[in-house]
Amino acid sequence: MVKKRVPDWLNSSMWSSKPAPSDDHYNLRYSAITTATATTTSPTSSTSPAEDHSVDPPVPVPPQPIIKDPPEPQRIQESRVDNGANDQNGNSGLPSADDISRQAQLMAELSRKMIDIRELRKIACQGIPDGSGIRSTVWKLLLGYLPLDRGLWSSELAKKRSQYKHFKEDLLMNPSEITRRMYSSTSCDTDESRCESKGLLSRSEIPQGEHPLSLGKTSVWNQFFQDSEIIEQIDRDVKRTHPDMHFFSGDSQLAKSNREALKSILIIFAKLNPGLRYVQGMNEILAPLFYVFKNDPDEINVAFAEADTFFCFVELLSGLRDNFCQQLDNSVVGIRSTITRLSQLLREHDEELWRHLEVTTKVNPQFYAFRWITLLLTQEFNFADSIHIWDTLLSDPEGPQETLLRVCCAMLILIRRRLLAGDFTSNLKLLQNYPSTNISHLLYVANKLRVQSI
Amino acid sequence: MVLVLALGDLHIPHRAADLPAKFKSMLVPGKIQHIICTGNLCIKEVHDYLKTLCPDLHITRGEYDEETRYPETKTLTIGQFKLGLCHGHQVIPWGDLDSLAMLQRQLDVDILITGHTHQFTAYKHEGGVVINPGSATGAYSGMTYDVNPSFVLMDIDGLRVVVYVYELIDGEVKVDKIDFKKTTTSHSAH
Repeated sequence: MVKKRVPDWLNSSMWSSKPAPSDDHYNLRYSAITTATATTTSPTSSTSPAEDHSVDPPVPVPPQPIIKDPPEPQRIQESRVDNGANDQNGNSGLPSADDISRQAQLMAELSRKMIDIRELRKIACQGIPDGSGIRSTVWKLLLGYLPLDRGLWSSELAKKRSQYKHFKEDLLMNPSEITRRMYSSTSCDTDESRCESKGLLSRSEIPQGEHPLSLGKTSVWNQFFQDSEIIEQIDRDVKRTHPDMHFFSGDSQLAKSNREALKSILIIFAKLNPGLRYVQGMNEILAPLFYVFKNDPDEINVAFAEADTFFCFVELLSGLRDNFCQQLDNSVVGIRSTITRLSQLLREHDEELWRHLEVTTKVNPQFYAFRWITLLLTQEFNFADSIHIWDTLLSDPEGPQETLLRVCCAMLILIRRRLLAGDFTSNLKLLQNYPSTNISHLLYVANKLRVQSI
Repeated sequence: MVLVLALGDLHIPHRAADLPAKFKSMLVPGKIQHIICTGNLCIKEVHDYLKTLCPDLHITRGEYDEETRYPETKTLTIGQFKLGLCHGHQVIPWGDLDSLAMLQRQLDVDILITGHTHQFTAYKHEGGVVINPGSATGAYSGMTYDVNPSFVLMDIDGLRVVVYVYELIDGEVKVDKIDFKKTTTSHSAH
């Protein structure tokens, strides 16, 4: 068996992951999707990763606390041409020139009458600037919630939002109200007429045999009690979602209403999908969606964030259903096979690391990759970072699942030094508590993997 | 939406061996939030069984109860309603609605639940409503002929109560309901 040599560019010190010097400048600048090879990319659309490690001149790089290695990969060097224009140190919070340009591009794209989804995906893949407030709209477009024709937006939104309202009314009613409606529809409400001051109360028939202790399969009450288990589970999970964020946890009015919204969405989803119901982890996938939509600058959108989130959640989950379905665990489409694919991907790109991880130290990918894949990396990084990763996951034309595998592979490759040096315990510990890293870096590597694997 | 089970006069083991099977199959834990029992269980095993259905159990003493420490009367508040509980052998004439109304005014409750007659009744007067869930086992009673096993389940929802009456007639469970609302301008008790 020919041992595949680790490609040179992988050995660059660039891949050693260091904690980003300051977490608050997410200058999402990494090379354009178009093959970052020999061509020097135009200044407007691409720049290099912000936290750039040792790069030799032509471009003077501000001293960073890393080992300076001569950069082997020609390709990478060339693509990192115009560092000069960008101020990299301490640029916290101010949008870079590139961010502004990308925002302008996105706004231009969004203001067109008929949106070109491929173009949008291309731009969004590089990241959506935080301060722009357009992330919510872009995500809705990427998930297919908003139609591509701008003129149809208001009618579509109105339709979907009223549909959600009906769902809420129908599915979240408790059985007392349901039976009351059943009863009052069959006979007029004679409460007022029955106000004799004294006398035996008259007994009346129950509508359709509905009573609270009914054991019938079609009984509203029986279904209610069966659902109450799931509702309890959802309630518990929602309370535990992102306990460090004021948006979700705590006793403030805002947090409570947000949690209620999350609960309603999950309950309605569980009721509408009896095959899948609710599985732990869905709350984690829901949380970023709701957060982004609730932070939309448009007031009306904020008011209807719950309805929008529901439909986008359904859309997002439709691609990921198989990961949550227990029966499919061992099948070709299930989570196990997805993890195997990740393993294969790693083997393709970095055989040495793969061998060390899986054969030598016997770190079964299921130990770490399960959570990475099913929860779309929401638990591995802080909230803001995971939203940036989601920008790429949602916009990549290959689809979230495929992109996710590449990002996971990149995550492994980025810490290869530490992994290669570690044994089972330390590697497992490292992988289950993935060190914080520069996200744009990570996404850049993930992107490169795509180029490579063709 | 609070479900409250009201039952009593089981007289186990003296006059009946157990609840009817059809009742037992319906009474499963997890559905009911409160149980109020008029008394005459009579033994601890029945108390334990009721506890498994629902941890919140209220009992008043009937004349044949072996546990002497149950209270004679009890009041509790569930939702917007005040409920009163008493076995009923203390109120004479037994089963007399006016005397029970007196007791209700004394306890100052909206719904009074009593037993002893082994006969289901639901009676409304200015002071409120009196409900007798009957005997859950259909035990013999000196006052009532042909006792049918019965109990009551109340669904308290805001200011409305729906009282579901479960009776075992000829081996079949028959369910009826009674609706009533509490008027906010209450019949004040003096």
